Amino acid sequence: MAKEGYILVVDDETHIVHVVSLKLRNAGYEVRTAGDGEEAYEIVNQDPPMLIITDLQMPYMTGLELCTKLRDREETAEIPALLLTARGYALESSDLARTNIKEMINKPFSPRQILEHVQALLGDSGEQGSKAA
Amino acid sequence: MLVGLGGVLAALGAVGASYGLERVIEPDGEMAMLSVRVVVGALVVCGVFVPATLMIDRGVMRAVGRLRELAELGERGSITGPLSMRWCGDELSAAALAWADRCEHLDARLKEAEVRERVVESERHEYEAVLHSLKDAVIVTDAFNDIAMVNEPAGRLLGFDVPGALHRPVRDVVRDDLLARQISETSKAGVVSKQKRFEHNLSAIEDGEEGIHTFDVTLACLPDEHKKVVGGVVTILRDVTREKEISQMKSDFVSQASHELRTPLSSINAYVEMLIDGEAEDEKSRDEFYQIIKSEADRVGRMIDNMLNISRIEAGIISADYEEVDFVAVVRDVIETMKPHAKLKEIMLIEKSGPLVYTAEADRDMIHQVVMNLVSNAIKYTPDTGRVTVSVENDDASRGVLVTVADTGLGIPPEAIGRLFEKFFRIDNYKRVAKGTGLGLNLVKQIVESVHRGSVSVTSEVGMGSRFIFTIPYERDI
Repeated sequence: MAKEGYILVVDDETHIVHVVSLKLRNAGYEVRTAGDGEEAYEIVNQDPPMLIITDLQMPYMTGLELCTKLRDREETAEIPALLLTARGYALESSDLARTNIKEMINKPFSPRQILEHVQALLGDSGEQGSKAA
Repeated sequence: MLVGLGGVLAALGAVGASYGLERVIEPDGEMAMLSVRVVVGALVVCGVFVPATLMIDRGVMRAVGRLRELAELGERGSITGPLSMRWCGDELSAAALAWADRCEHLDARLKEAEVRERVVESERHEYEAVLHSLKDAVIVTDAFNDIAMVNEPAGRLLGFDVPGALHRPVRDVVRDDLLARQISETSKAGVVSKQKRFEHNLSAIEDGEEGIHTFDVTLACLPDEHKKVVGGVVTILRDVTREKEISQMKSDFVSQASHELRTPLSSINAYVEMLIDGEAEDEKSRDEFYQIIKSEADRVGRMIDNMLNISRIEAGIISADYEEVDFVAVVRDVIETMKPHAKLKEIMLIEKSGPLVYTAEADRDMIHQVVMNLVSNAIKYTPDTGRVTVSVENDDASRGVLVTVADTGLGIPPEAIGRLFEKFFRIDNYKRVAKGTGLGLNLVKQIVESVHRGSVSVTSEVGMGSRFIFTIPYERDI
């Protein structure tokens, strides 16, 4: 089933990007990928996605910096994000408040869990998100 | 009283003599009798009274002389042994003995005080020795906020002359306003049990280099002898810069290590779940998943090996498994493993060796780990489309095999070169470029130098790339 828009998956670990994209594509979502924060920022500005799934610790620009920068621009401020982090990695609530991060998912994560979050989020925001048969 | 007795005896003699003289002027008949009386009287005076008087006088003189002697001895504090006061007459003896007792008592007290003074003096020396041997800066002020004691580190840190600082007001000596104020306030607060602690940054010189150091400052009140009023303040400044740095490095390491371990575990977990859920479309995808799981599991294994081997080498409990190692074979094996990583960044990974066989007696797995860490670092810190070259040669100078890992990467800033092989050290600016634990190069150094008695070095130019060179002796040093 075709979707309006796509999900952007950002991680410097290619295996992670690969497995998350595959899970989402198998569920019928359109997916684009980026290897670091800077690349993701450019993609979002050119073609805003309906959701961003990003790792926290990445070279050049972290996931948190990416989400903060996007929040600062009117065109991208409302794009929701899911943040992948190592468990126990403390993030200041004031830092999170300056982003549109909806959920934090601890590593090691389960692709099923990510899909559930995506479906809940896109469903909540009124977007289409039903899984293709 | 003795003098009185002598006086009475002398007076009696005088009476006797005057009596004889009265009779000399009487008529002739009685003259002979009178003469006899006079002579007898004179004899009595000369034979009895004079010697008695002289004897008594001598006794008195002796007693007085002895007393003077005792007084002088007492003054010099050198009365020892029992005192003899014979021939001084009963009363004189009693007085002299009482005086001697007093002297003996005073002498004992004096000696006691001298011993006590020596103990206090030696304790003071001990305190001063302790104070001066401390690395921490210590300032002791009295109840008037004047410097009572201070050690060399305090003088060096706060820039004052130690002997010249004594008994001067703390404000004149301690030029740091915050510190001087804190000392006065602590003293003014007047609460004996009060202790203050805070961190304070001060400029300090370490190994000839001036920089801002962080000090842990403790101020404690010294009670007076009644333990009620503040008699002064002890201020101790401990340099905690290095401790804080190590603590930061360790916490960075824990956070990094946790991330580094969780990432491959995440992959393994996710791909296994995909296989279970039947999300791999075909045989080719399934094979790809198995390969990824295998390579990520190897990655976790390598990280754990890195961490454990450092601990083992440091604890001296690692046992190297020596064999004749073919270095070219090890390098080729590493290149094969790292090729997929290089390919992702379009980095050329090249092995360059001469036609000879290059072998040395070493632990194969450890040498593999050394080459792997160097190649993996080179790939990490080389931008896309760069080049990493590994070469093996024989080195006559060190009588060993020499391996070079050269890249066209970011290079290492000169100020970081010296610390590059330290445990947990990472170049601040490069933390954003690539992830790492700061253990890899430390392990390289430990394996090459501590275990194999070889050597490792690096040359680099920022923006041009780096060359890591290590040598392993052909034969192990037994």
